[in-house]
Amino acid sequence: MHWIFILLMSLAHAETPSTDEKVVGLFYFKPMFGHVHQSSELKSASLTTIQCSFPVKVIESSKVSVGPEWSYVQVADHKGFILKSYLSEKRPECFQGKYPKFFDSLNLDLSELYYWGRLYDQYVQGETRVR
Amino acid sequence: MTSTYKVKLAFVSLCICCYGISYAQEPAKIQEEKELEVVNFKSIKKVLEQDGLSESAMKKKEAVKVLKKEQAAVDDKKYFYPSEEDLLNFVSEYWLVKNAQLLKWDFAKPDYGLDKSYRTMLEKLGFYQKKFKILLIDSPQIVRAALPGESGEIIYVLSVPFIRSVDMTKLEISLFLLEDFFRHESGYFKKAVVTEKMTKLAGTNFHGAKVDQTMMEEILNKYDQQINKKGYTFQQQFEVTKKMDSYLKSSPELWNSYFQLLGKLDRFLKTNQQYKDYVKLYPSPEMQVKWMSPEEKVL
Repeated sequence: MHWIFILLMSLAHAETPSTDEKVVGLFYFKPMFGHVHQSSELKSASLTTIQCSFPVKVIESSKVSVGPEWSYVQVADHKGFILKSYLSEKRPECFQGKYPKFFDSLNLDLSELYYWGRLYDQYVQGETRVR
Repeated sequence: MTSTYKVKLAFVSLCICCYGISYAQEPAKIQEEKELEVVNFKSIKKVLEQDGLSESAMKKKEAVKVLKKEQAAVDDKKYFYPSEEDLLNFVSEYWLVKNAQLLKWDFAKPDYGLDKSYRTMLEKLGFYQKKFKILLIDSPQIVRAALPGESGEIIYVLSVPFIRSVDMTKLEISLFLLEDFFRHESGYFKKAVVTEKMTKLAGTNFHGAKVDQTMMEEILNKYDQQINKKGYTFQQQFEVTKKMDSYLKSSPELWNSYFQLLGKLDRFLKTNQQYKDYVKLYPSPEMQVKWMSPEEKVL
């Protein structure tokens, strides 16, 4: 009797939109700056700009289809898309973290932060294989 | 007898009087003072020592001292100038960000497949574990540049209007980038942009002082100069061309393509005024063709 109750409860829960989304894991953003995109395309609009080492919740949802190169993420109140290659399970070593006072002294403005994020959208990146 | 009694009485009265005066002059002790007297550490030092409390207090004092020292070291670590390598990588991207409007790199472009073609070429020539970033720009202002990136990575800047005007193939673009690769490997760019101040300050601590902002200004200025005005010398171009020659000789197909590309560039630049400054920065495709041409033997 008890297990039937649990099953019914879990089914009722699964139908609600909030529980359809499942947190897959907590990752960290790798590049200096970057954008959380509205859709899984580099040219899509930016929901917010984040910087290196920013924690990102990777989520899964049956209602959102994601390309193989992209992750569906939640950053603060924003839900959007980030390239998988820009996420790391471990906290990365960032320039901002390594040289915080020097970095602060540059007083980067919002436009510069935006462009720095866009730079990582525009790069064509590659690496030759290991011998 | 009566006189002796009077003297005694006078003496006792005097004593009582003196005691009364002295007692009246001594201020009344407050409760805390009395408590402090009760907890007189000196008086219970032996007891504390026996209980080991004094030792524990000393240990705590030492621990606080160590923690304070560690905290100071952590604080101190925040005030370092970046190392030369970290700084150059940072400045390269900072320069691109600062010149975003001029370079026009934030534009929609088709996928040219350059990552794959360039990677294949590098691997064919035996260059493994080489990281690269290619930034295509929508401006004829700057034709090309190869900037130092993170951990030996190269950031290639390439003008789309230029490669379209010259009508370069994917293979030719890759050869064009390979020239920049050799230029970068020779350290010409780094040598041109590193300033005396940068060498002096890189990796040092500035705790207690302000960041020397002129260092960044100087490096950014050097980037501008090198990319827009100074370029490379004939000697440097000769060495790069000779390197291309020797590496491509093992692959005749690539060698021929490169030789044809230099001829194509030479013809294009001689007839196109828009890119007249290119030969000043990268002298010169005409000379490069000569350097690549097999020596004529006089019989």
